[in-house]
Amino acid sequence: MLKYTGKRILIGILSLFVLVTAAFFLTRLMPGSPFQSGNVSEDVLKSMEEEYGLDRPMTEQYRLYLGNLLKGDLGVSFKKPGVTVVEVIRRAWPMTAALGGLAILTAAVFGTLLGIWQASSGKKAVRGGIFLGTILGTGIPNFVIALLLMFFFGVKLKLLPIAGLAGPQNYILPVISLAVYPTAVIARLMQNTFREEMQKDYVVLAKAKGLKPGRTALTHILKNAWIPVLNYIGPAAAFLLTGSFVVESIFTIPGLGREFVNSIGNRDYTLIMGLTVFMGIVVIGINLLTDLMCAWLDPRVRRACR
Amino acid sequence: MKKAIYQRRSRGVCPTDVSAGGYQRKRNPYVLTGGILLAVLILLAILVPVLSPYSYETQNVEIQNAGSSLQHLFGTDKFGRDIFVRVWYGTRISLLVGAGSALFCGVIGILYGSIAGYAGQKTDMLMMRLADVIDAIPSLLYVILIMLVLGANVGSILLGICISGWIDLARIVRGEIMRLKEREFCVAARMAGAGTVRILRKHLLPNAAGPVIVNITFQIPKAIFTEAFLSFVGVGIAAPVASLGTLIQDARSQMQVYPSQMFYPIVVLCILILSVNLIGAGLERASRLEEEG
Amino acid sequence: MNVLSVQDLSVQFHDRHAKGETVSGLSLEIAPGEIVGIVGESGSGKSTAMQAVLGLLPERAEVMSGKMLLNGDSIAPPPYRDGRPQKQEQKAYEKKMQQIRGSQIAMVFQDPLSYLNPTVKIGRQITEAVRVHNKNCSRAQAKVRAAELLDMAGLRRPKESLDKYPFEMSGGMRQRAAIAIALACEPKLLIADEPTTALDVTVQGQILKLLARIAEETATAILLVSHDLGVIASVCQRVLVMQNGKMVEEGTVEEIFYDPRQEYTRLLIERASGLCALTEKKISGEALLTLKNVTKSYHSGRRNLDQKKFEAVRDVSFELYKGETYGLVGESGCGKTTVAKMITGVHAPSGGAVLYHGEELVGMQRQIQMVFQDPYASLNPRMTIRETLEEPLLLNTSDSPEIRKEKVTEIMKMAGLPPEDAGKYPRAFSGGQRQRIGIARALMLRPELIVCDEPVSALDVSIQEQILELLEQIQRETKVSYLFISHDLNVVKRISQRLGVMYAGSIVESGATESVYEDPWHPYTKALLSAILTPDPRTARRRRKMAAGGEQEKEVQYDTGCPFASRCGYAMECCHADRPKTYCFGDRKVACFLYSEEYTGRRSNDYKMTSQI
Repeated sequence: MLKYTGKRILIGILSLFVLVTAAFFLTRLMPGSPFQSGNVSEDVLKSMEEEYGLDRPMTEQYRLYLGNLLKGDLGVSFKKPGVTVVEVIRRAWPMTAALGGLAILTAAVFGTLLGIWQASSGKKAVRGGIFLGTILGTGIPNFVIALLLMFFFGVKLKLLPIAGLAGPQNYILPVISLAVYPTAVIARLMQNTFREEMQKDYVVLAKAKGLKPGRTALTHILKNAWIPVLNYIGPAAAFLLTGSFVVESIFTIPGLGREFVNSIGNRDYTLIMGLTVFMGIVVIGINLLTDLMCAWLDPRVRRACR
Repeated sequence: MKKAIYQRRSRGVCPTDVSAGGYQRKRNPYVLTGGILLAVLILLAILVPVLSPYSYETQNVEIQNAGSSLQHLFGTDKFGRDIFVRVWYGTRISLLVGAGSALFCGVIGILYGSIAGYAGQKTDMLMMRLADVIDAIPSLLYVILIMLVLGANVGSILLGICISGWIDLARIVRGEIMRLKEREFCVAARMAGAGTVRILRKHLLPNAAGPVIVNITFQIPKAIFTEAFLSFVGVGIAAPVASLGTLIQDARSQMQVYPSQMFYPIVVLCILILSVNLIGAGLERASRLEEEG
Repeated sequence: MNVLSVQDLSVQFHDRHAKGETVSGLSLEIAPGEIVGIVGESGSGKSTAMQAVLGLLPERAEVMSGKMLLNGDSIAPPPYRDGRPQKQEQKAYEKKMQQIRGSQIAMVFQDPLSYLNPTVKIGRQITEAVRVHNKNCSRAQAKVRAAELLDMAGLRRPKESLDKYPFEMSGGMRQRAAIAIALACEPKLLIADEPTTALDVTVQGQILKLLARIAEETATAILLVSHDLGVIASVCQRVLVMQNGKMVEEGTVEEIFYDPRQEYTRLLIERASGLCALTEKKISGEALLTLKNVTKSYHSGRRNLDQKKFEAVRDVSFELYKGETYGLVGESGCGKTTVAKMITGVHAPSGGAVLYHGEELVGMQRQIQMVFQDPYASLNPRMTIRETLEEPLLLNTSDSPEIRKEKVTEIMKMAGLPPEDAGKYPRAFSGGQRQRIGIARALMLRPELIVCDEPVSALDVSIQEQILELLEQIQRETKVSYLFISHDLNVVKRISQRLGVMYAGSIVESGATESVYEDPWHPYTKALLSAILTPDPRTARRRRKMAAGGEQEKEVQYDTGCPFASRCGYAMECCHADRPKTYCFGDRKVACFLYSEEYTGRRSNDYKMTSQI
């Protein structure tokens, strides 16, 4: 187990390294970036030079860059003088995290329930309905859902607020928009694994012991069926993060996603770079965590050290 | 529901048509429906821009924001451009991106996965670690970064998607090959003198076909979504080229007044993605049934 | 009063595939403490009938019974109307059965690895069984009871085992755990469905002894289902014979085995004891295949740090002559498959040499082909039979398509397959036919040596006979040599002229098959032979059983001493300290200190050695 953990962490660090290096070089290659032309104002250029050592050779810049990263310094925004990337993140991150967290929770709970219902229901209508639902859920893009929800509930029916995160009801539409896709994926995953497990022989033994079906479902089937779902949480996090780009833009929530989109629109290259690195760290981190959790849950891996 | 947990589903399979290559040729409603929808969309995407009297960029201030009419089936947008034509131009782009990424990612994924799976041991470990490293970064970030450097066009979107789009498929191929290569029929083929290429071509890959085809099929809507998403956000294809995402974004500002301008591209986009998803789901089901049979 | 009384049980499957009843008109009775056996080939409906009693069958199986009484109470399932189950009645039946399952009737299944939840600890799986019927039982109490049950089931360290997962235990231990689960609530009836089929021969006997003891000590009735007549003969008092869903004959075990009245019963018994025909000796000339001190070791753990060398095959030597069949016998994990892989060139030996026609083998040879164990995995499901059979020709000859077709037809006829089936896919064939295809494939290049790796283990007894006959016939016609690998002693006895017995990677005894069987010299060979359950009730009960406790553990390496020493009843001090060499006496070789000079003392050169055990 320890060896496995070590290996995974190593890969995570390597991936981060690749991302960081790519971000470094790409931003220097972007047309119109401050690193190329010098079409920026004096004081901006000054702060940039300080920060990035623009007058020094490339390899030194790279080392400086890496050094800064390790210190937790992600650079400065070059369109908004005096603002560091870390500040932007500190301001915007909590909202994105809240939305993302709620979305994952919703998706996990509803997805699991729907999946189980689909797999174990005897009624063709239920099974077909949920199946269709998952097809729609994985098919309709999240920005489309956001727009449609906004249109129907916000504009036409005026039931729910559509901007900002003032109160709890503000969370409803954005979270739903974010959660639909993962819910559909989890429902489909859960349904497949649940159905597979239901056929397994140990379920027969559980029945032969006299266990009630509900009990069997919980302690035996779910335990094994949930592992692929847990595995999915990693990629889901990545998806939610990128999903936040649109959802926050549509619902005007000043979270990380919106900042990122705006920075792209503004061609604020340093901000883009800094935010990219941060998002990479988050995604890699979550993936690592879920990976390790899954490995730990599987007794075969856990006991491999013995 | 409770009872159903104990009712093990029939392990039997639908009547097989043994002669037709050992595959099941049972009518699959999902594939059929999805296939028909997709065919219709492809047809429209090819024909409409050719046959329509309007181009996607001619602006005509006089007929701004017109509603649907016989001349302009989907109406016009705020610049007076015919939405109908623009929608199908946009569909062309989506289809191109979808098919292109499926093709490239398919080829790369199968090759990479085959080599890693068959070679095993050190080669496999190195290859898969490399893939893990590339995969750890969300693909959208790759696409955005590349688009900022290479400019916003179909090519750079394809490149961005294909950087990490093949990894999933490669993993599946590798998994299948590793599972199958120690199977007795492979050992028998080796003993008969079959070389690596023959074993991959005739023995391993055909038996891995199910999950591989399903995965490639699902790559298409993923790519379409990514392109539309990026265009919507403003990082994708730039005006005046019409991508479905741009159309939606353009219409968004007028959502309250002229909602239909937004709905048409939305509906077409959704049907496009859904039709391919249906095909994929149908193939997945057929592949699963065949496994059990 | 009888524990279980069933009258006229029928099971009919309502789906497109299994039309017709799989069980019809079965009646049986069993009293407390009785052990009743149900014997029949696969597909005879015996497992289905047992599952029907407990209501474990899926919904599409309609169960009809005239009477089904458990200690006088009816447990008959509700009838279907118009071929459909009635919801209310089904619900009530289910509720009632939930009470009964586990507490009154319990079941043990064939393969404990798939019937135990892999991610739940053994202890938890047992306490669950205890607490489901005893609502007031606390967790601690249940744990104590679980340890008790494991002890009763013969597990050596019950408390430790509670915390283990199924994959951490050996097959025999798992089955004991499964039995512990079944006994958790002291059921009146225990149904054991092929409980020993998935286990090694030496462990089978132990599990059956356990079941007999349980029946005796706790007066639990046991219904033992098996296709293996030897299993039935060793513990059952009464026997039911089933064929195609119907009961063919019923009687006491003596009646069935010594005085069968029905033709089918006679046939079964004949086949089971009849796999003993020996073939004549034919040894000629030089050795075709020679193994000299062949060793295969695997390394685990990081290099130079933690390196554990695991020797799957250790110092194996034997010779195989042209035209003969050499048998390699041993239980699972003994290394025989690894030997096969080295001979066919799949792996290279880590030490020693494999010589073919006197020259060292490098890679795969066309003259050495293989027939595999699993008829379902040995054929590519996506290739037609013709394509599969033509492949060796395509790759090794420049035959034209017509010549290839001819050859395929010829070989198919030799293997007893109709040539017009060449265009079909493997899924159209049964297990026995697929094995014929596998044999045909091995013959395509006219090899000199065919390695048969458990070719009949996955087949029914009647089909086994056919395949063995086919192999013999082919040997007569083409003079091919066989290396026949199996764990089944009866099969090896039938087909090989010489054999070698393997244990933990080495050959412990080798010689002419007949002599080894009549007069085993090595303690392990003797244990193996005595563990074979002969379909003869009297011998089974009278037999002196070798004290071969425990099981062959794969991973444990005894660097010092004889690997069998810990289980050997004849072990001396030297056996734990040194590895015995191989001692040769004519064509008999034994690796046991009992035959070394130090022990037996110096004898004259022409002294004829006999068994020391």
